[in-house]
Amino acid sequence: MTPTVPARLQGITKRFGTVEALRGAELVVRAGEVHGVLGENGAGKSTLLNILAGMLLPDAGTVKVDGRVRVLRRPRDAWRAGVGMVHQHFTLVPALSVLENLALGLRSAAGGLRLPYAELERRVEALSAGTGLAVPLDATVEQLGVGARQRVEVLKALLREPRILVLDEPTAVLAPSEVQTLFALLRGLADQGRAVVLVAHKLDEVLDVADRVTVLRRGRTVLEAARSDVDLPGLIRAMVGSDEADPVAIGAFHGAETPVAPTGGEPVASLAGVRVRDGRGAWALDGATLDVRRGEVVGVAGVEGNGQHELALVLSGRVAPGEGSARVPGDVGFIPQDRTVEGLVGDFDLTANVALALHREGAYASGPGGLLVRWGALRRRTGELLEKFDVLASGPGVRAGTLSGGNQQRLVVARELEMARDLLVAENPTRGLDVGAASFVHDELRRLTRRDPCPGVVLLSTDLDEVLALSHRIFVMVRGRLTPVPEGARSREGVGALMLAAAHGRHG
Amino acid sequence: MGAMGELLRRLGPAWATLLALLGTVLVAGLLLVAGGYDPFVAAGALVSGAVGSPEAFLSVTLVRSVPLILTGLAVALAFRAGVWNIGAEGQLYAGAVAAAWVGLSGGDLPAWILLPAVLAASAVAGVAWALVPTVMKLRLGVGEVITTLLMNFVGINLAAWAVHGPLQEARGVFPQTDPIAAGARLPALVPGSRLHVGFLLALVLAALLWGVLRWSRAGFVLRSVGASQPAARVAGRMNAPRAVFVAFLASGALAGLAGGVEVSGVTFALYEGLSPGWGYTAIAVALLAGLHPGAVVATGILFGALEGGAGSMQRVAGIPATWVIAVEALVILSVLAVDQLRRRVVRAAAHG
Repeated sequence: MTPTVPARLQGITKRFGTVEALRGAELVVRAGEVHGVLGENGAGKSTLLNILAGMLLPDAGTVKVDGRVRVLRRPRDAWRAGVGMVHQHFTLVPALSVLENLALGLRSAAGGLRLPYAELERRVEALSAGTGLAVPLDATVEQLGVGARQRVEVLKALLREPRILVLDEPTAVLAPSEVQTLFALLRGLADQGRAVVLVAHKLDEVLDVADRVTVLRRGRTVLEAARSDVDLPGLIRAMVGSDEADPVAIGAFHGAETPVAPTGGEPVASLAGVRVRDGRGAWALDGATLDVRRGEVVGVAGVEGNGQHELALVLSGRVAPGEGSARVPGDVGFIPQDRTVEGLVGDFDLTANVALALHREGAYASGPGGLLVRWGALRRRTGELLEKFDVLASGPGVRAGTLSGGNQQRLVVARELEMARDLLVAENPTRGLDVGAASFVHDELRRLTRRDPCPGVVLLSTDLDEVLALSHRIFVMVRGRLTPVPEGARSREGVGALMLAAAHGRHG
Repeated sequence: MGAMGELLRRLGPAWATLLALLGTVLVAGLLLVAGGYDPFVAAGALVSGAVGSPEAFLSVTLVRSVPLILTGLAVALAFRAGVWNIGAEGQLYAGAVAAAWVGLSGGDLPAWILLPAVLAASAVAGVAWALVPTVMKLRLGVGEVITTLLMNFVGINLAAWAVHGPLQEARGVFPQTDPIAAGARLPALVPGSRLHVGFLLALVLAALLWGVLRWSRAGFVLRSVGASQPAARVAGRMNAPRAVFVAFLASGALAGLAGGVEVSGVTFALYEGLSPGWGYTAIAVALLAGLHPGAVVATGILFGALEGGAGSMQRVAGIPATWVIAVEALVILSVLAVDQLRRRVVRAAAHG
């Protein structure tokens, strides 16, 4: 049976200032299918989905829904046409209950000012039963974890009964087990006849769930194929272009060499019984003891929110321990998890963003007591870093906020590698990055440990594959405590079992 | 985004600001007509009173621009550091009281001792006035918008109390002080005009502030903390509270100095209602200048001309000077609206 086509985007062009995000992209959405949209950072995936969801108007090209050309000026137009979007960033009100959040923006069938809670509850329960989407309706959103919040977002979208459900990077914030839950849900929705379109960065994830894939490269659709007709190397070739095809090197976790244990020596950083309180006064980091030596990558795996951020802040010298002792070097690079908040100032140009870390270096100071900043030297250095690390930007004078996520991360990595003479602390350094950008980060981390003299590296990540592929030694972080992973348990299953045990211990 | 946003995005910030000013002029003209006044006569009086002659420009416009530039710099400096100091008015009054007190008790001390002492006292008083909100912000987490605003009333009434009480003139008739000592007065900048050396001081401070923000490490730290505290702390390893502390107090010093310069350069005495709200107008001066110290000089002179022209408008066209206050408010509103729109447009464009 040939699936029907509820939506078709043809020849879509979209320009932001001088950047051409889309240059004649195509997307054919079929009912009953999960459709994965792939591409490197800046390929135009999010832009294309935003056009389908009525968030952006294309400069040229047509959007056809049910065979008719539509102009979707605003999200409401898309809703009416049957397109619902689940956003990358959550749009929930934390202080309200799940039910109240679901009621936002809905109208009572009976009309009037009273919110239709009873009616809504019945509908949500019916939906939950039909899709297996279970969320506690009375809980406030702030009590929920990210996975549950996302399920609320999906529910919110489904309440408007869309025939096309669009998800922009739904897996970026999820733990591995939650990804599986989400994919099972999407599968079920497609089986009921809806069309599901999603963007995800990790190729193997998309291949797990998608029936069909569309690959974008530099704003153009370069491949559209059924899942059964493509394999991983073929997709990678399509994404990065055939000219630089080395799928093994690009597929970050496929064929990564086994790390060699480092030589001994004095630790560059050592923590003993370090405890740090979180914002509410609880011990987020609860007794961490850790030595890091030059040339080794220490991996810290764990489910989000188990004290990794606090550990990273202590190791990078940003926070003093509440209890215990921490000896950390001064020359430390830090790749923070949230690059747009803690890593960069979006309103500053690239030079000033590089200067954030480099301004205290002797080479970039002049005048009596080093009081002045040598902006000329910083601008030249920034230009060199852009070149060396392949940051797509027209120059050092561009505002950091205008770069794509991958290019922002390249800039942060470039800058922090400059600083990491003794130690580099990297916190989820590839979150939200596409394959190319992620493997770039991985390569740089590996290269760093071969530098002479080389620093020590601490990699904190919720991505288990990443930790396994890069680390010499691995710890699991459980409720603020570090547990070393024995050599024998060094596998997805072994570490995963420890992590799951942690998750169960937490809820049970 | 609507057609208006699209238009603004194409125009860019400078033209958008100009457009806002033109719109303001139009609305102000319509208001005048509605009030039964001839807008052209009024505009003519405004222009000739402000810039109609060298005398008007030097003795009226530039003289009035001095406190506006100094408080405008104070606000720009604070806002750049993310400190919402809207207490320039109170800090100005504190500075004026201190300047008058030192100037009155100076006797026949020579100017090279007394004048620096007067100006220093006003700056220190401004710092003291800013210190209360600074400490409340950093130690107790109290928002500075409220505290600086409330400190304005304390400052205004401190001056009122001083001229009714301890500092009142010897005759005891009017609520004002005796004239300050001759050595406490700023010399004229242009002979034969009322323009005093304080204008030069304001220009030098604007240039200095520009240099510090642009070229010094301290200025970069301050801008970083103002632009994003998390990034400044984590990526920049900067001491955000210290930057806030320094910027807040330096802002207070500049605003206090504005009061001292006014007393030692123009009025030579302290009286109630010394400032027609310069510390508030300063917010518009700074915002219209995009928080750029060099541009603050220009917008300070613009608002100085507006205030100067108001006097002549009252005399020549018979329009109440309070009308100009309404115009200033219109400018503030239109600038803020345009600024916000522009930001939203830039954000929307960057998001795709």
